[in-house]
Amino acid sequence: MLHCMFLLSDVGEIMLEKQWMGQQVDRSICSWFWTQAHPPGQDDSDPAKVPAVIASPTYYLINIVREGVTFLACTQSEMQPLLGIEFLCRVADVLADYFGGFNEDLIKDNYVLVYELLDEMMDSGFPLTTEPSILKEMITPPNLVSRVLSVVTGGSSSMSSTLPTAASSNVPWRATGIKHTNNDVYFDLVEEMDAIVNKDGFLVKCQVYGEVQGNSRLSGMPELTLNFVNPSIISDVRFHPCVRYEDWESRQLLKFVPPDGHFKLMSYRVKGLENTPIYVKPQLSCSEGVVRVNILVGIRVDPGRPIESVVVDIPWPPSVTTTELTANLGTVSYNHSTKVCTWTIGRIPKEKSPCLTGSVNLEAGLDRLHEFPTISVGFKIMGVALSGLKVDKMEYANVGYRPYKGFRAVTKATCYEIRT
Amino acid sequence: MNADNRKGELAELKAQLRQLAGSRAPGVEELKRELYKKVINYLTVGIDVSSLFSEMVMCSATSDLVLKKMCYLYVGNYARGHPDLALLTINFLQKDCQDDDPMIRGLALRSLCSLRVKNLVEYLVGPLQRGLKDNNGYVRSVAALGVLKLYHIAPSSCTENEFPVTLKALLLHDSDPQVVANCLYSLLEIWSMEGNSSEAALREKESLLSRNVILSLLNRFKDFSEWAQCLVLELVSKYVPEDAQETHDMMDLLDDRLQHANSAVVLATIKVFLHLTMSMAEVHQKVYERIKAPLLTLVSSGIAELSYAVLSHLHLLVLRAPVLFASDYKHFYCRYSDPSYVKKLKLEMLTAVANESNTYDIVTELSEYAANVDVTIARESIRAVGKIALQQYDVNAIVDRLLQFLEMEKDYVTAETLVLVKDLLRKYPQWSHDCIAVVGGVSSKSITEPKAKSALIWMLGEYAYDMNDAPYVLEGFVQNWAEEDFPEVRLELLTAVAKCFFKRPPETLKILGSALSYGLADANQDVHDRALLYYRLLQHSVEIAERVISPPKQAVSVFAGDQSIEIKDRIFDEFNSLSVVYRQPSYMFLDKDQRSPFTFSEDTGSSVLGPQSPEREDLASDYDTRDNELLLGAHEKEESRAVSNGSHGFSAPKSQTSQHDPFAPRSASPTQTAQPARATAASPQATVSSSAASPLLAVDDLLGLGPSIPAEPAPPVPQLKLNAKPVLDPASFKRKWGQLTVALTVEYTFPAEALHGLTGPQPLVRHMQANSVQCMASGNAPLKFFFFAQLSDAAPNSGFFLVELVVTTSSGLASAKIKADEASMAPAFADSLRSALSKFGP
Repeated sequence: MLHCMFLLSDVGEIMLEKQWMGQQVDRSICSWFWTQAHPPGQDDSDPAKVPAVIASPTYYLINIVREGVTFLACTQSEMQPLLGIEFLCRVADVLADYFGGFNEDLIKDNYVLVYELLDEMMDSGFPLTTEPSILKEMITPPNLVSRVLSVVTGGSSSMSSTLPTAASSNVPWRATGIKHTNNDVYFDLVEEMDAIVNKDGFLVKCQVYGEVQGNSRLSGMPELTLNFVNPSIISDVRFHPCVRYEDWESRQLLKFVPPDGHFKLMSYRVKGLENTPIYVKPQLSCSEGVVRVNILVGIRVDPGRPIESVVVDIPWPPSVTTTELTANLGTVSYNHSTKVCTWTIGRIPKEKSPCLTGSVNLEAGLDRLHEFPTISVGFKIMGVALSGLKVDKMEYANVGYRPYKGFRAVTKATCYEIRT
Repeated sequence: MNADNRKGELAELKAQLRQLAGSRAPGVEELKRELYKKVINYLTVGIDVSSLFSEMVMCSATSDLVLKKMCYLYVGNYARGHPDLALLTINFLQKDCQDDDPMIRGLALRSLCSLRVKNLVEYLVGPLQRGLKDNNGYVRSVAALGVLKLYHIAPSSCTENEFPVTLKALLLHDSDPQVVANCLYSLLEIWSMEGNSSEAALREKESLLSRNVILSLLNRFKDFSEWAQCLVLELVSKYVPEDAQETHDMMDLLDDRLQHANSAVVLATIKVFLHLTMSMAEVHQKVYERIKAPLLTLVSSGIAELSYAVLSHLHLLVLRAPVLFASDYKHFYCRYSDPSYVKKLKLEMLTAVANESNTYDIVTELSEYAANVDVTIARESIRAVGKIALQQYDVNAIVDRLLQFLEMEKDYVTAETLVLVKDLLRKYPQWSHDCIAVVGGVSSKSITEPKAKSALIWMLGEYAYDMNDAPYVLEGFVQNWAEEDFPEVRLELLTAVAKCFFKRPPETLKILGSALSYGLADANQDVHDRALLYYRLLQHSVEIAERVISPPKQAVSVFAGDQSIEIKDRIFDEFNSLSVVYRQPSYMFLDKDQRSPFTFSEDTGSSVLGPQSPEREDLASDYDTRDNELLLGAHEKEESRAVSNGSHGFSAPKSQTSQHDPFAPRSASPTQTAQPARATAASPQATVSSSAASPLLAVDDLLGLGPSIPAEPAPPVPQLKLNAKPVLDPASFKRKWGQLTVALTVEYTFPAEALHGLTGPQPLVRHMQANSVQCMASGNAPLKFFFFAQLSDAAPNSGFFLVELVVTTSSGLASAKIKADEASMAPAFADSLRSALSKFGP
């Protein structure tokens, strides 16, 4: 199993080292890895050059990259690859949950905390607890109050002095005796659209990857039941361990005792969507080293809510030297080193279609474009789940109070790509 | 912070700690906490703070839990490097192990076990024994892992105190699922390591697969944490259910795991399903249907690292069941934002799932990538189109694409396309008209890559009839002879010009003349030799020259795949292992790197070598050189055989070996440069296996017909008598293995009932011993052995046979490489080896 883990900064410096086995892994493995991942003399435009699993002369290395930080784990024996990768992902998630975000500075500010967490999450190379709610019982996350206290009293430690109660209960994701003064529970339907439009303007692929994210602050041991109006549209689901699978299988109900705090209740996939809410129609025509550009963006299917935060990214190939692009709406910026042209539109108005026009110059000797950019589009629609999935109602049992319930939906485009 | 500065700070910390050590003043705990935190901070960033060890221990006499925890962290980190200092901590840790607070008991026990100092083992046993009996689950679970730590430091002490027995009892009866999981983890690790030297341990490990253990684990399956579930699932995947009903019950129980949020659980479950139903064809097929959606969801989860690992597994499945994902090909369309290693795998998936119904869509999609900014991906995608074209009959659509590619006028696109067209033509000569039309339009000036140039020149020579200006294009190339840097292109050019000459003599005569004269003056030996050969052939007789240089071509039906079916099968055995993500069976790495523990048999070597033993690394590097030698050897043989090949082709005069003869060996060798390279690549196995056979067979071999050898009447086999108790020390074995080349390879398939007895290496080792074949070393997963035997009448240190045997447990296929001091005896030994294997039974 996993021998050790290193956290590397975005320049390859070792920020943290944690050994789980008696046999210590030498730090030199990190520099070996770094030269593999970032061969000297090459530009680092693609941050993830090495696959998640590679072999060094002495170890198998498993790595993931989050916000520029590399989580590098070593093992010497054969093991389940996803166990390694998933564990690293969980570590990243737990850290993000503890710090309310994740980046290099947060790690540097909280070395000891990270170290303690890693100590609890794995022993002898075998993952123990990765459930944030239980970890929080053992190691208190940094918050404003404790930070202030530590300044005032000089005493600062995140270690709690109690044994997690849930560790041995039959609901391992939830502690017993949780008390909140205000009992409320929120669910967010977060959907991400993944679509590809090919050169000829056909939508070749369009699917939605969705998650139901919960945030529960309920006292006691509540039993919740969540109903969907139209569960049949879902192609495939994955559940948090708290969900009772039998009820989903027989009646398509989500029955569960929620973990406390933030958690991911389920994730699902809806395939075969026929339309994207907005269209992007690029036209590129080349002649004599100049490319005339005309990109139209508009609403194809009105989702009933405003489409916001629309951003169009055009990564021009290296043969492009200069761009002269203007838009009738929003702002256009051009990054000279990456050659990415970013058109920030914002909210699409109903009365007017945004349009980007202008020309792009190619380097001398080239008549026309040989490599065509793939335009990626981002947008956000609050209040609507693109797949059409709707929560019907939520019931609760086993509690003596009336909790406040909240639901939200949001659709984001993460991978909406238009090829030209 | 520079070194001096750091030293100063450490000294200051040291002084402060010393001051606080004895103090009982109020508030001192807070101060200590602050200092400890600083120390831990240094420790986590890798600054050596071991010099503070004694001060830290002195300060640890405290009742403050937070301080204790930090102190444990510190001590655990440095004890190993400072065994003498570690002794200082034993006292307070042992005391803490009997604290009233279970948290402290557990933490202290964990730290105690983490010291990992050999001479402190005696202090460990007592607390561990108590810990395993503790009434608190947390302490028991810490103790269960502690046993493993003890085993790592002192295996004998662990087994003598019967810890494994205690763990097994806990495994079956403990009420706390985490304790059960930790016991299972420790037991698996201990018995795997122990199993390399002891049979009892192997039996113990197998006993974990017994029905009552598996059922007791499955019965409380849902109580386990997700990680423990992975562990249990991995174990269950090796279990053979009693009957179909049990299989179905297990699958019903585990079915919802496919919906688990943890991808590791999902994949481990899939492995169980695949293995459970291996022998039930119909259910197996349904399992494929069932696992499809969860796998595709994992791929689209948006985490690149996960997608990559899952795609590797999908690729494996697709090779087994290509139809399965044929309708889901859109999942493998590349996103612009995917990292290139994911894109590469997706391209392979697209190639693998392509069938008649989806080829058009897939090829259209792939064509779009040809314009990708990422050049590697653009190239890969053109190659993918080529691979699909070679699989399908619907070449029509693909020829259209080729046209488009060439129109792009992008150097690397044109280059890749030309290579692809060449391969297409070799398989489908009937498409020559369409393809040639396309190629004819390519300007030869725009091609710079040697591979593409060779491809174009090959086509010019081969289809000189169909391409009007072929001689003139070739002429252009010949005129630029001096600027052509790559010998492979010049070689191809010589052949093409010659071919063109046979087809259109009047137009080509002059070009041929200048090509030959350039060739004869060429600095490269191969080019020179080929030019000389052609020249003399042509001088001898143009007809014979044509028969040699431009014989009628036979369409290639199958190109040598990059991975054999057998390897794919073997990989399937290793589903859900790192080797899948690598796309190589794990034994390929083990050979080279020795990542897994590998042991020498007690009977001979009696030394157990850990993963990092230097001696093993030597052996590993020997393997490398051996591999090289093997390859070189094969090449040399090819060269020497080429003589007989050349003469065979046109029945040369008898004075073959005379120095003045134009067909003397040296000048003949280049003829085969074009062919043998392929022959070796296509069937290394075949060439190797025949190296001991008579040289007459070499011709067949050269043409890739190696396996037909047995038809040849074997030379009389000398009687084989083996020494019952040969002696060979590991070092000599290693040396011999490195020196000798493989004389023979033998394959044998174990019948199913014999396979049941093959749960570990030991049974076969014993069986072979009874047959006078000794084991030098063996490894588990995959089963691999090094055997040796000696002729009974041989002098010391001679007459040895060395065998490397690899057994694929799923198919029962055993393949052995035999090396022998006396190669002539190898066939006889191979027979006795085969008969010994066939006698193996449960």
